[in-house]
Order: sequence, then structure tokens, then C-alpha cells
Amino acid sequence: MLEVQGLSKSFYGTPAVEDVSFRVETGEILGFLGPNGAGKTTTMRMITGFLPPTAGRVLLADVDVTEKPLEAKRELGYLPETLALYPEMRVREYVAFRAALCGVPSGRRKARVDEAIQKCFVDDVATKPIGNLSKGYRQRVGLAGALVHGPKVLVLDEPTVGLDPRQIVKVRDLIRDLKKDHTILLSTHILPEVEVLCDRVLIIDRGRIVAAGTPDTLRHEMAQAPAVTLVLKGEVSEADAILRQLPGVTRAARIGAGGETRVSLAGAPGSDLREPVFREVLTRGWTLLELTPRQASLEDVFVRLVSRDAAADADTLPGVDSTTDTPALGTEAPQ
Amino acid sequence: MSALKAFFAIVKREFFSYFVSPLAYVVLTAFLLIQGYTFYLIVLALNQPETPRTALMSLFFTSVFYWIFMMLISSVIAMRLLSEERKTGSIEALLTAPVSEATVVAGKFAAGWCFFLFLWLPTVLYPVLLSRFGTLDWGPIASGYVGIALVGALFISAGTFASALTKNQIVAAIVGFVFILGVFIVGVFRDFVTDPAYRDALSYLNLLEHMDDFSRGIVDTRRLLYVASSVVFFLFLSTRALEANKGR
Repeated sequence: MLEVQGLSKSFYGTPAVEDVSFRVETGEILGFLGPNGAGKTTTMRMITGFLPPTAGRVLLADVDVTEKPLEAKRELGYLPETLALYPEMRVREYVAFRAALCGVPSGRRKARVDEAIQKCFVDDVATKPIGNLSKGYRQRVGLAGALVHGPKVLVLDEPTVGLDPRQIVKVRDLIRDLKKDHTILLSTHILPEVEVLCDRVLIIDRGRIVAAGTPDTLRHEMAQAPAVTLVLKGEVSEADAILRQLPGVTRAARIGAGGETRVSLAGAPGSDLREPVFREVLTRGWTLLELTPRQASLEDVFVRLVSRDAAADADTLPGVDSTTDTPALGTEAPQ
Repeated sequence: MSALKAFFAIVKREFFSYFVSPLAYVVLTAFLLIQGYTFYLIVLALNQPETPRTALMSLFFTSVFYWIFMMLISSVIAMRLLSEERKTGSIEALLTAPVSEATVVAGKFAAGWCFFLFLWLPTVLYPVLLSRFGTLDWGPIASGYVGIALVGALFISAGTFASALTKNQIVAAIVGFVFILGVFIVGVFRDFVTDPAYRDALSYLNLLEHMDDFSRGIVDTRRLLYVASSVVFFLFLSTRALEANKGR
């Protein structure tokens, strides 16, 4: 079990993380989602005791990480984002070093090392120096080192970043498998990862939690807020500005390309945008080529939540649709 | 108990990692060259009939070679201890293991010191060689090695502190050399003060006198205490520096 209460951190007076609280139960994977620079890594570093928090506290398996760091860290397996292992060490040596470091009794060390190496599919490279391994292997060696002492809590900072698609699938299977015996906190900026792996999601932006819930509830909340894409004939440069004035529209962004104008609209929950949009198009005398209600995805939730202020800036840039302008999109994000 | 285990795990990893870097072999070779040349000079001097009877080890330690080289080598041995892990970021994984900063610093220092002592291992051959051509008093030779070990501990701990201050190994080596030079110079000030009370006090900080005593077989606990407390002081500073800097 992992509990975070009112965690805050400022660097030289600038707040990086503000009042973050959550709880992860045993056997649960919590996805920690946010754009780059939102404070994910800072939060994780505070959870692991690497950075002292400015305020708030962290309980790792019911032990306060600031008050009893050694005891708390015994229950922690951490895979840092900047995964730096000792390149000169062989895989088995490294995992054995971690085991000794984390106080695994010497009698059980060999068995635990073997188990961790097998669990993370690195047995075929066990005698190779870490420096010669590919990124995917190194990631799994890091993971083997993080769980060799059998911690109750696993904190994984972007565990699949930089891996090829096949390795991503392998690492995800591994994490899903680890869920049985561990409490897992996983940070990512790749949305599909959250959908396939996590039981619950926290979305963090500019150091604050902006949404929390299961992927389904978040999607459901979003589904009540309608989204519509329309395509107009010709270059209608003022279309987004006009449509934003309509009642119920919370956001409008426009792309003009190839003699067409595409505008994506988002509305307040409970409203139906289709009719007012249709009437407005009629009164303006525009030619409507397409009017599509968009299906809400987790991505919409995410984009909406983290780009509330950014959307206003993006709209002023001609030819830029703010939904594609967010850093949230992984290369494999579903459309 | 588990802190001790973690300590030994760190010492072992750190000590063996010296031997996979070219640095270790450069230092080892340079060391053997210089020591071999010093030994040659000593043998040459001993062959002169007019050489006065003296403690063999004191010939080793009064040479300029010894001091300049010791300072240089200690700063080079210590430079990577903490700075390298902070540069690569592996310090994050290390410090999120159930170990305290103090254990990490102590382990790193101990590994550096072990490597320093390892350098001296081949020189044991010299007195063994000499003993075939005459009778040697082994007591002062043994205490001479104790003296070396103490100077090494003092220098490496100062270097460890420098390594805790920066991510750059070269900067760590230079700052470390300055610290070590400072430690050495403090004692030399003895020759510049006239007040006998200060003179006495400073002479216990004087490393030349320290080595002279040890090479003549005098093991003075006050000197032991001076080195031990200085080492603890430097390691304490290193721990605080690491605690303050680790996340940056």
C-alpha cells in the first residue's frame, strides 16, 4: 500500500508540485499521467525519498519515508526515469549487488537473483556487461534490480519509454504480471499504456492533480461533454472565432488546408452542439461538408484537462488545431 | 547489520570498478615507476659507505616524489567516487535503496582507500629484497606502512569531500588536490610560528613529522587520533554535501 498526503515541493520558491494526495492499494496499478514537466518525476522522487518534500508526507507500506527512510525504502522498488546502471557490471553481478544492498540475506540471495532475472526475461544476457545491452534489455535489468528484494511497492517512472513496440508489449505483460503481489505506481505520458495497464488514473498538470478515476469513469465524464468536428468548404478564417461565441461551446480550434476548413468544437457537459452549429452555418451562408460528433477517448479527457489555458493560445495561431498541439500524444495514440 | 552488508556491497562494487577503467592501470603503472625509481635511489645511497645508518623507511618518505605524488594520486583515486554517480544519475537508484547517505559515503571512501593500499602492495617486495643482503628491523617497516595507510586515509577522505561537491570528475580532482594540499600545508605552518604552544599543536598536524615518526617505529596515538578525527570530519562533510546535492 502506498499513501501520499498533501505532498508539495517548491524549488527556490517556485512550486513544482502542489498538494498532491492519493492512495494505491495492494494489487492495484495507478497510472500517473501528465505532460512533460508536469511534476511526475518530482512527485516520484519525493515518494522514493530521493527528494525531501517541502510539505506533506508519504507512507510506503504504512511507514513514513521521511521519518524512517531505511525501513520505508526496504519495501520500495524504484525504476528511475533516467535509468543509469553501472555499464561495467554484468547483469547477474548488478542484480546480486542490488540484492546485497537491499539486505537480502546471503543464504537466499542466489535464489532471489535467479528469480528476478527469470521474471524479467534477462536470463539470456545474465553474463553480459550491462553497457553492451540494448535499451529494452537495460530497462528490464533495472526492473530486475528494483524487485530483487521483494518490495511491496513498485514505483516505475516511464518504464516503456525508448523501447521498440515488441519490447513495450513484453514490459507491459511483465508489469501486469507483477500486479499480483505488488502495489504499483506507474508514470507515463503515453495514453494507450494507461488504458491497457492501469486500474486507476491520476492526471497531473502543472504540479496539481486535475482528475482522478478509472479510465472508464474519466471517459464517461467526457462523453457527457459533447465534441463535434465540422468541415466547411473554402478557407473560412473567422469560423473558429464565430463558433466559439455560440452558447455551450467551450473550445474551438481550426485547421485550414486544401480549400477546406476543419473546426473542432468542445461543449459544456449536457449540451448538444449540433443544432446551434447547424443554424449558425445556415445564417452565415457557409457550405457544410461534414458534421461529425466525435467519440470521446481518454485522450480527449487528457487534452481537455491539461490544455485549458494552452487552448486559448493555440486558437490564435492560424492553421493549428490545438488538439494536435499538446505534448500528450504518443506516437501510437489512437485516433 | 543490514547497513554493514550494504556497506560491504558498496565497497566491493566500487573497488572492483576501479579495475575496469583505464585510470586504475595508469595510476598503478605510474606509481610503480616512481616507487621503483625511488627504491633504486635508496639502494644507490645505501651502497655509499658514507651514508649514515638510518631507518630504511624514512628514506622513502622524505623524498619530494613521495609527497607530491601521494597528493596527486589520492585526488585522482577519489575524484570519481561520488561525482560519477551523480553525473550518470545512478546515484538515484543507489540512494533509493535502503541505505543512508552516510553508508554510501563511508563505502565509497573505504573502496578508494582500499585501492590506495592496493597500490602499495607490490612495494612490500622491496624490503624483502633488501633483507637478503643484510639484516632489517621489521618493526619500523611495519609502522611505516601504518603511517602510509593513515596519510592515505586522510588524503582520500579530503578527496571524497571534493567529489561530493561537483558532478565533474576533473573539477573534483582539482578541488580535491587543493584540499589535500591544504591538509598538508596546515602542518607546515609550524615552521612559521614562534609561539611554542602553537608550534607544538601544529607539529601534530605536520605530516612530514608524522611520516618521520612512523618510519622510525614510533606509533603515537595522538597522530592516530588526528587522522581518525579528520577522516570522520571530511566524511561528515561529504555526507552533508551529498544530502544537499543529490537531487540536482
